[in-house]
Amino acid sequence: MTGSVDLEHKAPRPRIWAIGGGKGGVGKSVFSTGMAMTLAQKGERCIMLDADLGGANLHTFLGMSHPGRTLSDLFRNQSLGLKDILLSTPFENLWLISGARAMLDMANPSYLQKMKVIRQIFSLNADHIFIDLGAGSAFNVLDFFLAAHEGVVVVMPTPTSIENAYHFLKAVYYRKLRKVVRELKVERLIDAALSAKVKSGIRSPRDLMIDLQHRDPIIGEQIVRAMMPFRPRLIVNQVQRNEDRDLGKKIALACRDFFGIEMTVPGLIRTDERVLMALKSRRPVLEMFPNCPFAEDVRRIAQQMTRVRR
Amino acid sequence: MDEDAIQLSFDRLGLSSQASIREVERAYRELCDLYSEESLATYSLMGYAERQEKLELLRTDYERILHSRLHRAPVAANLQTAADRQYSALPATIVCVDADPGQDPGTFLQQMREARGLSLRDVAERTKVGSFQLQGIEQHRFDVLPAPVYLRGFLKEFARVVEAPDIEALVDSFMVLYLNARDGKMM
Repeated sequence: MTGSVDLEHKAPRPRIWAIGGGKGGVGKSVFSTGMAMTLAQKGERCIMLDADLGGANLHTFLGMSHPGRTLSDLFRNQSLGLKDILLSTPFENLWLISGARAMLDMANPSYLQKMKVIRQIFSLNADHIFIDLGAGSAFNVLDFFLAAHEGVVVVMPTPTSIENAYHFLKAVYYRKLRKVVRELKVERLIDAALSAKVKSGIRSPRDLMIDLQHRDPIIGEQIVRAMMPFRPRLIVNQVQRNEDRDLGKKIALACRDFFGIEMTVPGLIRTDERVLMALKSRRPVLEMFPNCPFAEDVRRIAQQMTRVRR
Repeated sequence: MDEDAIQLSFDRLGLSSQASIREVERAYRELCDLYSEESLATYSLMGYAERQEKLELLRTDYERILHSRLHRAPVAANLQTAADRQYSALPATIVCVDADPGQDPGTFLQQMREARGLSLRDVAERTKVGSFQLQGIEQHRFDVLPAPVYLRGFLKEFARVVEAPDIEALVDSFMVLYLNARDGKMM
């Protein structure tokens, strides 16, 4: 018992995870639910936040039909806080903040609304918070991803999913770079680099970093340093073929080599038809088939990811 | 050779400059595989021309590193292993091989190697040339061999370790075959 406490003691509380990946249908919600259920079963207090604004359905993954209060209540009512819209789920140690019943305009909450949510996430009383993001690379998605302690990108072994994941990673990288540049007040340097982009052959974040270090070694170094903690994790889901087993490693290598983005690969998830069966019964996979390959893989990944890094 | 260029080549292969030849070869093969036409991981990252350019750059880096190591070989020789010392203390024995060094220098080197009781790995360790390349030399697989400037050095080392007679002539006949094959392919 003390062992697990010891492993956790350096992690922030609550530890905030954001699960994204660009493409819809790759298993972001199934994976988030699996992670939260795994840790909740181990006695850790977990909250799932459905940030797929406009397409929220995490409640269905948890077998809940009509979520009571949702994020739309929070956006409509100034006096409500995140903790006021926390819903109990049928499972011990697991709560839900639903994004369901969103108004049409809610897919794009105002900047202030978004910042209110992000600020309040950190004061929730929990061990882990899983933010389940929608598809795409809209600013809302990117900002939630960047606000979290840990960003997780989910892909499937298909060219389209991998293409979207690269697009997502690049978008999130440039979004973070903008923030870093604004904080360091060096917008002009980066504008100069980007306007000479074509001429100087900048094709990737990696090229841009090299160019910046060349233009101004001191500020360039500061930017590189500020970008260093950006280290998303990569999960390859629905792995079926043997030759796709090392796909995660290859994508991480390509990210480092081509973009200069470091990623870690905590594990892969095998294809398992029980995931679809559970979904059709509107029950979490881990509850319905606690020992299926999907459950095993998610448990292994959860164990790997909750180890304190470095 | 330019130290900076060598360091850059190590960087591009994702290695420290202390990496062993085996690590260099592994990294090179992994990256070639990553950027191959069939690679799912890089399918959407680049077009055909960019892919070829990337592979060409990798090959240049790989060869530059091998070449730099080859030049360091005399220094490394001072640190040879006990097995190596034992080997060089043996008197050169006369062996009989039937391949013609002028017509078929690769097979000649292979037979010399086998007659000395050396495996490809033994020769790789002593020459600091990868066994993949050594086998390429033996089997005249010109497509896996590096640019002529490096190849000459590899051949000389190989011939020296298997104690082949008339090393210069052997290297020349191999190079003639190599260049003919390469130019033939170009036309």
